Amino acid sequence: MDTAFRKIDIDAYDEDAFLESELFEPDPRSPAHVLNDAKQKQTSVRSLLAKGDTAGALASALEGAPYGPGVDEAKNLTLQSVVSILNSTKSTEIPNVVRSLSQDAQDTLMKYLYKGMGLPGWGDVSGSVLLGWHEKLTEAAGTGCIVRAMTDRRTV
Amino acid sequence: MSNVLRPYLAAVRSTLTAALTLENFSSQVVERHNKPEVEAAGSKEVLLNPLTISRNENERVLIEPSVNSIRMSIKIKQADEIERILCHKFTRFMMQRAESFIVLRRKPVQGYDISFLITNTHSETMLKHRLVDFIIQFMEEVDREISEMKLSLNARARIVAESYLTAFNS
Amino acid sequence: MHIRCWAELVQYGANDVLKREYGSLIKAQAEPEYNVSLEIDLEKVPAEGEERETFIKSIALLKRNACAAPFELAFKHQKELEASNGAQGDLMQIHYRDEEAIFVQASQDRVTVIFSTVFREETDRIFGKVFLQEFVDARRQPTIQNAPQVLYSNRDPPLEIRHVSGLRSTDDIGYVTFVLFPRHFAKPDLASGTISHIQLFRDYLHYHIKCSKAYMHSRMRHRVAEFQKVLNRAKTEVATTERKTASGRTLTSR
Repeated sequence: MDTAFRKIDIDAYDEDAFLESELFEPDPRSPAHVLNDAKQKQTSVRSLLAKGDTAGALASALEGAPYGPGVDEAKNLTLQSVVSILNSTKSTEIPNVVRSLSQDAQDTLMKYLYKGMGLPGWGDVSGSVLLGWHEKLTEAAGTGCIVRAMTDRRTV
Repeated sequence: MSNVLRPYLAAVRSTLTAALTLENFSSQVVERHNKPEVEAAGSKEVLLNPLTISRNENERVLIEPSVNSIRMSIKIKQADEIERILCHKFTRFMMQRAESFIVLRRKPVQGYDISFLITNTHSETMLKHRLVDFIIQFMEEVDREISEMKLSLNARARIVAESYLTAFNS
Repeated sequence: MHIRCWAELVQYGANDVLKREYGSLIKAQAEPEYNVSLEIDLEKVPAEGEERETFIKSIALLKRNACAAPFELAFKHQKELEASNGAQGDLMQIHYRDEEAIFVQASQDRVTVIFSTVFREETDRIFGKVFLQEFVDARRQPTIQNAPQVLYSNRDPPLEIRHVSGLRSTDDIGYVTFVLFPRHFAKPDLASGTISHIQLFRDYLHYHIKCSKAYMHSRMRHRVAEFQKVLNRAKTEVATTERKTASGRTLTSR
């Protein structure tokens, strides 16, 4: 007897089931455009950092962060620039920088913190720096910020 | 609590507190079933982004939240062969008693040493902050316990060897 | 007594040693399936007291005496070699367990005793390694400078026995080398003490490995009980106290 029908994933034919793409609004920009943006942002972040404007650099890096599938390179670039800002900030300045961010930027920063900690090889990312930022950010933005990082489908 | 460990545990604590927002949720795939969605992984929309908190490559916590359950896996620090075996023994010992540790998972998630599975039933019958306390205390003490066990093993070996060799003197 | 390495022991003069220790007690023909038999005439057993104690003790040491033969032979060889300026004595092998053996070799200025040890279990292997490493290190202590030198190698057999065939080379095998110097067996009573001591090495090591495991286990038990308490604290209290009326009757809910 043919038993192959037992293996069919009937849930895939369910009309009510959500698809990956329906879970969030796709980024209106094209992948190439996003990558271009990320590159531009990286240079502007560098110049802001050189001027010593950490808060401004962070805000601009976090604004319009790439999300969704197909833009891995842009995501990596943004992560790099965020991490370089985090690394170069003095620990005493962290609370002020965090407080100056808008709520959206805070949420995005939280997402990047978790992403940085979740990466396997690490590279130049240091765990204690990220943990320090995480602590200050939670103090300023509360657990709601973590919940938003957890529930937002627009993964960075 | 040592000063180095504090930010790590603080991050775990706040993330757990945020993640422990569970509600009763019946399976949407199978009627009259109610199972931890994070384990069943039946429908995407009820699973949330998994979060990792790590101190370094060898010490990590993975928290996988979903609508009615969270799964939390810990990778415990293992510096050498002895710590590895002690850690393995200890976690196995605990997991064999998972029945009495209601929130403990019987098997760890791949790549981690020990996993907890907290469902909405648990968060309803237990106080949330105490539950978080429990896990934080576990993480704190498991490190200490393992290094203490290692020290006592070394001390014992030393005494044993010395007393055996001293006997040749007479 | 039946002992698995009897043939090897006889070759190294176990019969002579036993004859010296027990004399006429040894039966000419051992009982079937056994290697040596002692026949004790209860009529002739020494009277109650110290003498009997010694007698019983010597009977109890039957196995130890049988196994002592190769060591005594090696000590004798060493003296001969020292006198004649010879190079090395024969390598004596005693396969006293299925997979483990003792190798004894005399040379001009020392006697080398090598144990091969097999740890069946991963935990035993690692614990054993810690212990043996300590044996090697412990000798640095000034108080036990006189003890024999101990060497330990994992997996690779030491030079002295490298040519012996049939050695396994897997991760679970290790070799412990004791180098006994003449000062350890200069006097007969010292020599016999050393022999007894070295024979007990394996038992001693394994006993302590098992003890540590038991200790770890009790620690874990304690720690787990502690965690249990912490977890129980998390449970919400359900008031179950018995409520009584003033007259002492219990209230029950219906």
